Amino acid sequence: MRAAPSPEEIRRHNLGTLLRHVHLSGPASRAALAERMGLNRSTIMALTSDLTAAGLVTEELPKTTRKAGRPSLVVRPESDRVFVLALDLGADRLVVARVGLGGTVLDRADVARPRDSFDADEIISALAATGRRLVRQAGADAVCVGVGVAFSGIVRQEDGVVRHGPNIGWVDVPLGAELTRRMALGLRVSVGNDANLAALAERARGAGSGLDDIIYLHGDVGIGGGVIVGGRLLGGEGGYGGEVGHMVVNPGGRPCGCGSRGCLESEAGELALIALAGRAGQGETGRRAVEIIVDAADRGDATARDALHQVGDWLGYGVANLINIFNPSMVIFGGVMREIYMGSAAQVRSRLAVDGLTAAREGVRLRTSALGEEATLMGAAELAFSDVLTDPLETLARVRATD
Amino acid sequence: MTASENQVPGPVIELRGIDKSFGPVQVLHGVDFEAHVGEVTALVGDNGAGKSTLVKCIGGIHPIDAGDYLFEGRPVHVGGPRDAADLGVEIVYQDLALADNLDIVQNMFLGREKKSGIVLDEYTMEELAAETLAGLSVRTVKSVRQQVSSLSGGQRQTVAIAKAVLWNSKVVILDEPTAALGVAQTQQVLELVRRLADKGLAVVLISHNMNDVFAVSDRIAALYLGRMAAQVKTRDVTHAQVVELITAGRSGDLGLQQANGNGAKA
Ligand SMILES: Nc1ncnc2c1ncn2[C@@H]1O[C@H](COP(=O)(O)OP(=O)(O)O)[C@@H](O)[C@H]1O
Ligand SMILES: [Mg+2]
Ligand SMILES: [Zn+2]
Repeated sequence: MRAAPSPEEIRRHNLGTLLRHVHLSGPASRAALAERMGLNRSTIMALTSDLTAAGLVTEELPKTTRKAGRPSLVVRPESDRVFVLALDLGADRLVVARVGLGGTVLDRADVARPRDSFDADEIISALAATGRRLVRQAGADAVCVGVGVAFSGIVRQEDGVVRHGPNIGWVDVPLGAELTRRMALGLRVSVGNDANLAALAERARGAGSGLDDIIYLHGDVGIGGGVIVGGRLLGGEGGYGGEVGHMVVNPGGRPCGCGSRGCLESEAGELALIALAGRAGQGETGRRAVEIIVDAADRGDATARDALHQVGDWLGYGVANLINIFNPSMVIFGGVMREIYMGSAAQVRSRLAVDGLTAAREGVRLRTSALGEEATLMGAAELAFSDVLTDPLETLARVRATD
Repeated sequence: MTASENQVPGPVIELRGIDKSFGPVQVLHGVDFEAHVGEVTALVGDNGAGKSTLVKCIGGIHPIDAGDYLFEGRPVHVGGPRDAADLGVEIVYQDLALADNLDIVQNMFLGREKKSGIVLDEYTMEELAAETLAGLSVRTVKSVRQQVSSLSGGQRQTVAIAKAVLWNSKVVILDEPTAALGVAQTQQVLELVRRLADKGLAVVLISHNMNDVFAVSDRIAALYLGRMAAQVKTRDVTHAQVVELITAGRSGDLGLQQANGNGAKA
């Protein structure tokens, strides 16, 4: 049996919980926090004064007072002064952003990539340089408390090694260690799979807020997946689970980047849609190409409409399988899967009506990402914030010491 | 999170056996209709099926000739638009009534100050308008002090919808909000529609586009020649079935089984 937690552990836990509340839900009065956390107001006061002293929150009088009596101080996250670096590394995007406590994007830079080159060394150098520049540009009194990377591929979470980046051709690249070394911020750089991180971000502050069982599908050339079951991200033995894009829906179907055929991503992803619409190699790619096809279908273009029908059908099979296996309360379509779902929803949901087990599809809600294009970036930010939200005072002391 | 948790079950609006004629022409025949909290109900039907007329009956623009109008389970008399607004029923009509020469804030409060009897200062109005838009995660509108004439079609719809939800409405009805919009803007308006329902409103969406209907609705109500062919849960039907309900009034076991009956409820 485990010993009861020490007062110090309880305090640390409460500090983290309080900070997480204002980080995810925004400024809140002491009274509201007391109610949400089930603590009395003097305990809350002790916690907020510790967090204020550490420079993590501020307390101020509310702007407008609606009720009579002594107003309860409002606790705000120090968004401008406590921040993380969030990196988003996908086939279509290279972004570095400074994200403040509370989830505000304070500054962002799109990093240029040498055309058609995914050379790991060059990309890591460019990202590290941009990251350092953003930190330099932050005010002198601002402090960086973490660095997180969302990577579109298979990542070993414990050491941030990219095992496989299918659409950019990386194999066993020590992304986390290299970024840690080249950024030299005295902070360990954490790396996670982009769809997994986006799934967590949608649950923390997006469409899946408050839900314990959600599946997030992320379209970015391929289809990534993040599966949250019982409030926990499904990782599997090596942490590589949730790659629903490579679930075979059409045996012997279109060849997939993974070497197999008929995977969900090769049948229902943007490349399939673009090929079926006869627009491969016509300049536009990614989201723009998908938008053009959905628009053409809307105007009555038969080829575009057919392509969306087929893609929607396969997506429907895939989602029906996922719903039957996991019984999620929500499936979220993010990245370019948002456009594909919106453009083929009649097909997707018709498939579900036929192939989804009645009990499993009864409660499931199909939604588009609330964080939109920021979902993976916000996921990287949340990963970077996890230390300070787990042990606020120790983390702050540590990063201040390395300044 | 969903408002349905502490709500009484059952429809917030329920119409039973609504008849409506214009002179000698009967447009609605014994129509039943329901809208539920936290849900999007898509109202579909061919041109002239009676969708707009039904919505105008709900909104008190047209008095009903016969039938019952229940709100939160209680029979009510809706004699005009004011009665509907007092119940918390807001309608965004096809021809948006926004004033081009005014800015977003002024539009959102137009015709409202008098009704509520409260005189709001500019600062409070601006804050409420911005809060409402932010609460709906509207990121496309840059400043609430923009003139409405400078907005795109999608942004205008967004403002009209935000105006409808500003006053704690319970039911929002949208008559073809995406008809004049391109795909990108349509998707944004649909996401907004979905968000309204997820925040606990009952939303009724009239649309001709089956993708739009399937993308965001929880229920589909199909009108056929002034009769309610069927009200079904979206998750239980296919695209082909809904198209049949619209064009023929029936599809297999669903829909009007004889010429003048109302459709079965699934
Ligand atoms: N104010 C009116 N006076 C006379 N006829 C009307 C009026 N409004 C609608 N109608 C008729 O009622 C029928 C249904 O119209 P409407 O409700 O606009 O259909 P929908 O919105 O489904 O296209 C049509 O035949 C239309 O001509
Ligand atoms: Mg109409
Ligand atoms: Zn594959």
